[in-house]
Amino acid sequence: MAGIIEIKNVTKEFRVLNRREGLKGSLKDLFSRNYKTVRAVDNVSMSIQQGEIVGYLGPNGAGKSTTIKMMTGVLEPTSGEILVNGCVPYKNRTKNAENIGVVFGQRSQLWWALPLIESFRLLKDIYQISDSGYDEMMKLYGSLVDIEPLLHKPVRQMSLGQRTLSDILAAFLHDPKIVFLDEPTIGLDVSMKAKIRTLIHALNKEKKTTVILTTHDMGDVDALCRRIVIIDHGKMLYDNDIEHLKSFFGSYRTLKVRVDGDLAAQTQQIQGQYPDFSVTCDEQEEWISVLVDEDRQKVLDVLSQLQKTHRIKDMQLEEISTEEVIKKIYEEGVR
Amino acid sequence: MKRKGLRFYLHIYRKILAQDIKSKMSYRADFIISTIGMIFTNISGFVGFWILFRNFPSINGWSYHEMLFLYGFSLVSITPVQCLFDNNWSLRQQVYSGDFIKYCFRPINLFFYYQSEVFDIKGLGQLAFGIGTIAYSWSRIGLAFTPLMLLKLIVFLITASLIMIALQNAAAATCFWIQNSFYVLDLAFRFKDYAKYPVTIFSTVFRFIFTFIVPIAFIAYYPSLVILRPDEIPLLSWLSPFIGIAFFFVSYKIWMRGATRYSGTGS
Amino acid sequence: MKAKRYLALTRAGVIEALQFRASFIVMVIGNLLYLIVVYFLWKAIYASAGSDVVSGMTFSDTLVYLVLATALFNFMEMYAVWQMGRDIQSGKIVLDLLKPMEYRRYLFWSFTGTFIMQFLFTFLPTFIVVAAVTHGAIPLGINILYFMISVVLAVSINYSIDFFVGTICLYTESIWGINIMKQVIVLLLSGATIPIAFFPEPLKSIVYYLPFQSIYNAPLSLLLDGSPSAEKVLTTLGMQLFWCVAMLIISKAFWKASLRQITVNGG
Repeated sequence: MAGIIEIKNVTKEFRVLNRREGLKGSLKDLFSRNYKTVRAVDNVSMSIQQGEIVGYLGPNGAGKSTTIKMMTGVLEPTSGEILVNGCVPYKNRTKNAENIGVVFGQRSQLWWALPLIESFRLLKDIYQISDSGYDEMMKLYGSLVDIEPLLHKPVRQMSLGQRTLSDILAAFLHDPKIVFLDEPTIGLDVSMKAKIRTLIHALNKEKKTTVILTTHDMGDVDALCRRIVIIDHGKMLYDNDIEHLKSFFGSYRTLKVRVDGDLAAQTQQIQGQYPDFSVTCDEQEEWISVLVDEDRQKVLDVLSQLQKTHRIKDMQLEEISTEEVIKKIYEEGVR
Repeated sequence: MKRKGLRFYLHIYRKILAQDIKSKMSYRADFIISTIGMIFTNISGFVGFWILFRNFPSINGWSYHEMLFLYGFSLVSITPVQCLFDNNWSLRQQVYSGDFIKYCFRPINLFFYYQSEVFDIKGLGQLAFGIGTIAYSWSRIGLAFTPLMLLKLIVFLITASLIMIALQNAAAATCFWIQNSFYVLDLAFRFKDYAKYPVTIFSTVFRFIFTFIVPIAFIAYYPSLVILRPDEIPLLSWLSPFIGIAFFFVSYKIWMRGATRYSGTGS
Repeated sequence: MKAKRYLALTRAGVIEALQFRASFIVMVIGNLLYLIVVYFLWKAIYASAGSDVVSGMTFSDTLVYLVLATALFNFMEMYAVWQMGRDIQSGKIVLDLLKPMEYRRYLFWSFTGTFIMQFLFTFLPTFIVVAAVTHGAIPLGINILYFMISVVLAVSINYSIDFFVGTICLYTESIWGINIMKQVIVLLLSGATIPIAFFPEPLKSIVYYLPFQSIYNAPLSLLLDGSPSAEKVLTTLGMQLFWCVAMLIISKAFWKASLRQITVNGG
């Protein structure tokens, strides 16, 4: 079955100016310019089914936004094929736009000076939403979040959390087939994050909306996505179930310790003690980090062993972060 | 999919306009100060004009009141660009910061959606000034006043206004290609100040440039001839409505092309 | 090393200005076009006047005056009001106030890079071209020295006025309105668009006692007078010095008072 989004061998290249440094460099730039080609997205393929929530992950500058811009029809791919809902987005930008909703990080798409309800009414006209469809959606919103106090507040007076919430509601208003959420929880406090996750989850379930979610927050992924796609340097590294990924890396914990003595020497010594684990040191913070695979040895065992050989001044235990997962995948590939 | 015709867009525009005016009213002080600023600009324009003509009774065969008519005509024909297309001024920042992307996700015409967002009410003061000036000079020159003349005036004013709109669109769109396009826009905006002079004062080369390349002569001079010199209307005057439309269309294409090319900064 | 700190700002400004090649070219073209329009306009005006000398100025006097006024404007206009307005609105001003130098000075020095670039690439070439083309319309002698002193004073007065107006932005969000009023008043009353010699009598004397004529009219009248009398030099420079000090004190005091009020009210 063809998915609602079909991407085949898509590549996107940009030409960027190579700026030279300093006063002399600037003077040189005035007369001769030197461009280089950057491949932001490199031969990416994927197929997404109606109703899925897909986590689209990768470090900053990995090519996530570029891919989304191509799917929304803002950018034309350099090569390859994209079909969204059966049509080529960049050739039918306005038509494609009727079936999608987009929330782009902290950039509100609502009318800044207007109360939310007025923005909604404008959107109703722009997307030509029927009265019944609009009422139904508002009713649904009312049952999911406490929307009343938001409706009559101008967007510019809202807190970041309220604004993000409003933006998400606005993106779902015309009952689109696909919603793109670009870092929807960035900068929000814990309770607001939870609220937004619940909302997205409910809307996806209720309306069978396909959601493409980019984020740096593993919490978002855990709460919402069954499938994740990881991209770095424009290349696709992983596209599978999240469980699958966790089975590889879920057993990893990072143990950070601060010990007496010379940092480099101690790091080397600990590495000698645990040749199987990667041991790194952060010179600025004076942390020594040990990436422990708990399938082999429990973190607490490692800690108690270290306590015998070293004087530990301070310690921290961390889950493996998205960044580390991606780094590991990038370094070792998917087994 | 429902077809989106002129009626759809007019409806949307009316709605957005009403909302925009409502929200402007929440910045009352800004509105008042900007309006005063606008009045200042116009008064100082008049003062400059008056000082000049105190010393020189006519320019190149154009009497004081005829020049005043040109002046008024140019004021009215640059009002639409001021009122309806003012958002062009923030295009540069929006593109630079990447905020422009938000306009790309809506299922309506991008150019329309972008321009619809701002309506600059203070331009209406300029319109009043311009109409007053035209009326005053009209009566002082002793022109006949017939419905046909009025119709001509209105048609030529509207099409003339398209030229300035076109110039500003094209100038604003340069920000899609070059980084600091403020100067381009500023330059284009300064052209409006030259539009009020008869193009005959220039040498042949510049008359050509201001007629065909940067067509500011169509903002006031050529269309005004239809009213002011009905016995010797050159072909270009009759062509001016079409030239207005053509230039507007070209500028629209340039703008849209730039917007399509736009890739957004940052990731 | 205090001076070094300021020079670093200058250097950063120069580098920044160099980044924008296209805007640079556009600016040069823009000025050229403006000068062309000015040239033809005044040529037509003088041709229609019937006499070679109007209000004590010949065609070439007027032209040289206006060309240099434009060049001077480009060199001196630094859009400080805009910058302050934006800093205030975005809240960046708070960070700037924390910097280990006075905001007033910090802002001034961050403009010096642009100053230097504008001086080298717009004022100087214009000056040289005008001097060469007109063969002695600009006398080259002691007046150059007076001119330079006068320009330094003019820059200071202009900055003080800008800073004063920019301070108003602490009270209102209407940057555009504030800025346009200032610009219009300064341009008209300083003699940048029409030489003050053409002003009618009562207006002329009023303008003479305002600070604005010290910005453009004063340096240019010193420059274009080959052998100014000692009295003229002293009164002109004296007047400028007076305004320089007066505006400095006024703008500083206003800034201080406003800032206190804002911090008390919690802005």
